[in-house]
Amino acid sequence: MKKLMNDPKQFVPEMMKGIELANPGTIKYVPEYNLVMRADAPNPNKVSIVQGSGSGHEPAHIMVVGKGMLDGACPGDVFSAPPMDYVVESSKILNSPKGILHIVNNYSGDRMSFEMATEMLDMEGVTVKTIFVDDDVAVQNSTWTVGRRGVAGNFFVIKAVGAAAEAGASLDELVELGKKVNSRLRSMGMALTGCTPPAKGKPIFTLEEDEIEMGVGIHGEPGRARKKLASANEIADEMLEAILTDRKPIPGGDDREEPIFHEGDEVALMINGLGGTPISELYIVYGHVHEELEKRGIKIWRSYVGEYCTSLEMAGMSITLCKVDDQLKELFTAPAEIPIRVF
Amino acid sequence: MSDSTLAVTERVVRTIADVALENEFYFAELDGVVGDGDFGLSLANGFRKLMDEWDTLDRSSPGTFLKKVSMIITSRVGGVSGAIWGTGFMRAGFAAGDKAELTADDVIAMLRAAEEGMKKRGQSDVGDKTLLDGFIPAVDELERVLKSGGSTQEALDAAAVKAREQTEVIKPWIAKRGRAAYTGERSMDTYDAGSIAVAVMAETIAASWPEISNP
Repeated sequence: MKKLMNDPKQFVPEMMKGIELANPGTIKYVPEYNLVMRADAPNPNKVSIVQGSGSGHEPAHIMVVGKGMLDGACPGDVFSAPPMDYVVESSKILNSPKGILHIVNNYSGDRMSFEMATEMLDMEGVTVKTIFVDDDVAVQNSTWTVGRRGVAGNFFVIKAVGAAAEAGASLDELVELGKKVNSRLRSMGMALTGCTPPAKGKPIFTLEEDEIEMGVGIHGEPGRARKKLASANEIADEMLEAILTDRKPIPGGDDREEPIFHEGDEVALMINGLGGTPISELYIVYGHVHEELEKRGIKIWRSYVGEYCTSLEMAGMSITLCKVDDQLKELFTAPAEIPIRVF
Repeated sequence: MSDSTLAVTERVVRTIADVALENEFYFAELDGVVGDGDFGLSLANGFRKLMDEWDTLDRSSPGTFLKKVSMIITSRVGGVSGAIWGTGFMRAGFAAGDKAELTADDVIAMLRAAEEGMKKRGQSDVGDKTLLDGFIPAVDELERVLKSGGSTQEALDAAAVKAREQTEVIKPWIAKRGRAAYTGERSMDTYDAGSIAVAVMAETIAASWPEISNP
């Protein structure tokens, strides 16, 4: 393992301290609960939005805390869900008379922690509602999930509800909006390499020189298949096809939704780096996906190319499409002020 | 009960913690047959952390105390088992509310609340070969003996016997929940680690009840 670090146990706290020091006056760090929060939160006229997840996905989610995005993020250790008490205490610190919105990527550990925290907060009179994000089309269930995984597409959920909350939306309106964005999101990822969590010291998986993991999750969980390396265009084509033909299972039965992207649609297109892929390669993928979508009559309304949700130093990328309408366009372009300025 | 409810609650939790710590490797070994072997270890980690913070816990009522216990063990017991055990303590704490003294009926209501919470959290029920197959029949037995006029000691003894019997009843079953479920038929004819833990805890509480209730 070769990393810029001092002590594996201090990896997350030292990163958080850095974020606080780099953003004086706007970001506050509460070490007891791994909480990075807006210094001006909670705002009594606005729903507070809190995300958990594990660490190791930066800038998700501690670096998207700020005006127009999250009010706070209280991640667990690298690739670990936050313990329940982080969620309970962070939500109490950020409690607003308009309520608290939790955004949870659909992973079993995160779900359990947030569901327990919600019970605890309900008993204490804190109003909490939750949006679950499950944008990954690669696999239906995985090592760590029941149902689909929530991956890079959660950025669009945060951006939309963050902007709407800033404009005064109610908790119920935000829940509806979050569900709407999630229903219009589809993502898929692939890995060229594994990555090494600091406390583990060894790669979570290893790929040969000529191998890729297609449909990888954001903690390196296996995806659809381990394949031979192909050209950027071939890899992108396979992922795009999976996204465009995806029929999401409808909970509670064997029925599936129809594919959601059609000729004439406008989309936000994200090419997300997983941490170890140069931006040059991301733009190679972007160019091809852009042309392929235009060929199908799907218009790219706005592009997002860079690192939004990573897996430490893993090389690889994910593609996310979000179908937009006038409401979402307005929310996605609303101003935001966060430590990592990616838009 | 001749001693305050809070003191009794503390001693019951303390007894459960002692069992988890003393049987760390035994439970892990049972779980290792079909699960991933971390059950005993992570359960002990949770209760070890609880012991570290024991003196600082909020003791304003038995319910508050149990909620605090839940927060601590959940923060250290990894994965699904942490959430399920934590939910049990949490729901029992909710059911106790702010009451300073608890009656036998209150305790039954707390155990039923714990049962409901664990079912919901684990999306599981009796018949899935989990700790619920030990816990629920044992609570049934506790309630039956108390309602028919038996003493607390008699009720606890009966519950402990039932919990132990259940570990044998479910041994031939195929696990339907938890890591053990992934191993399918291999889980047949193996003990379920969670229900064994429940049996050992019930037996230990019953055996030490004279000291727990009136030291």
